[in-house]
Amino acid sequence: MVPLSKLLFQMPLKLKRPIRVMLIDDNTIDLKINSKIIGITKLFDDIILCQSGEEAIAYFLANEKERERLPHLILLDIQMPEMDGFEFLDNYKLLPEELKDNTRIAMLSSTLDFGDIRRAEANPYVIKLLKKPLYPAQLQAVFTSCFIIKE
Amino acid sequence: MTRSPVKVLYIDDEENNLIAFKASFRRQYEIYTANSAAEGLKVLENLPIEVIIADQKMPQTTGVEFFKSITTTFPDPVRILLTGYTDISALADAINHGDIYRYITKPWNDLELHNSIKNAHDAYRSKIDLRNKIKELEKTNDELNRFIYSISHELRAPLVSVIGIVNLVKMEGLYHSSGEYWELIESCSSKLDYYIQKTLQYYKNNKNVTDKSEIDFKQLVDEIIELYAYSYKDTTFNININQAQKFIGDSFRIEVILGNLISNAIKYQKTSNKEKTVEISIEVNKFSAEILIKDNGLGILNEHLEKIFTQFFKSKNNQGSGLGLFIVKEALNKINGKISVSSDLDYGTTFKITIPNAT
Repeated sequence: MVPLSKLLFQMPLKLKRPIRVMLIDDNTIDLKINSKIIGITKLFDDIILCQSGEEAIAYFLANEKERERLPHLILLDIQMPEMDGFEFLDNYKLLPEELKDNTRIAMLSSTLDFGDIRRAEANPYVIKLLKKPLYPAQLQAVFTSCFIIKE
Repeated sequence: MTRSPVKVLYIDDEENNLIAFKASFRRQYEIYTANSAAEGLKVLENLPIEVIIADQKMPQTTGVEFFKSITTTFPDPVRILLTGYTDISALADAINHGDIYRYITKPWNDLELHNSIKNAHDAYRSKIDLRNKIKELEKTNDELNRFIYSISHELRAPLVSVIGIVNLVKMEGLYHSSGEYWELIESCSSKLDYYIQKTLQYYKNNKNVTDKSEIDFKQLVDEIIELYAYSYKDTTFNININQAQKFIGDSFRIEVILGNLISNAIKYQKTSNKEKTVEISIEVNKFSAEILIKDNGLGILNEHLEKIFTQFFKSKNNQGSGLGLFIVKEALNKINGKISVSSDLDYGTTFKITIPNAT
């Protein structure tokens, strides 16, 4: 049985452009590579880069009043120093609901660890665990499942 | 290394026995005495006693009662019961509940008692040694787990970045900009990634945990094909899965087995072959899943057939790691599965697998 919360956080969002994506990754090389891939897909109008979970949470709180600046999709790394991907999700959960209404989260990791994979699948906020290296087709599939674009 | 003398506690309400015991054994052992169970307990609480000798017949608490009372609080010292009369029921009780190592009748024979104490002490040592060994093993195992976890992250993460960069180079049309160098980097990185993945598979398979989950073969095969056929688009798959029965099995190992065999069937093809096909048929019944994976690829030399399941066996012509089929065989061993192979060089290979159904 899929829990109700999981269904709720995975319903497609009806959005108008511009659409923003946020990358959370401590590794600057991967930030660069994945920004390029995102650029190639031309799916998003803006990319927000965060080098840590803390920075991403701070970004949400700083833009409480300007919600149009919040991301619609977060690509979240798992292995990060201090706040790792799962700890980020715990903190994200505590954010005010209205800040999260228009955001979906996919994890993006090179992990092969069964524990990680199970935890990602079990988390209600995570729509998919994407494997590094990221391919445009995979991002496209996530995009299509998450968003309905209103012209 | 000289060991400090064995610490023996002797409990008896008859003062004469305590004196006689000390007189006979004080040279060989470090002796503590007590004239009641309560006194004996005090000694136990303060000293690392290794062997306890207790008289059965004492006022208030008998020897057996005393041994029973300390089974959880002091499980380690080895116990010897002394009794002056043959009381079968006390004896049975002692053996059943007091965890008694030896039973000796009074008056004791010095040599017999000495041997008993010596043996009791050996038993004590091996108990403690075993426990220390287990602790050590648990620690090593724990370290190994963390090591494997860090390999899968720290070692693989930068490698995956390299593969990501090569992908970008392709997407930006620069792949052929430096002769064949990018191609070489790509082939080396994917080979290294393959080794890391196989090493992890082998390690995980070696662990003795087996999980029992429901397996949908159709879905599993589809996922595997999607994963491995990615860079071999010209292969045709004939899939015939007949699963009317529920199948319960070890999902990780079955995935490893099918994954390795299907990817082999896809990979080891003749470039000249215009109709590359892989046939997968699975029949599930109450007792087992019968799986057949057949390709029309390179085939295997007759004299190699016996060796393909051994670790690091590779044939000269193919770019294998020598790990895939070895892992398949190991994983099948863990779940009591069977495998057989037949092959004709240049015409293809067929693997037949039987995996027991745990429903």
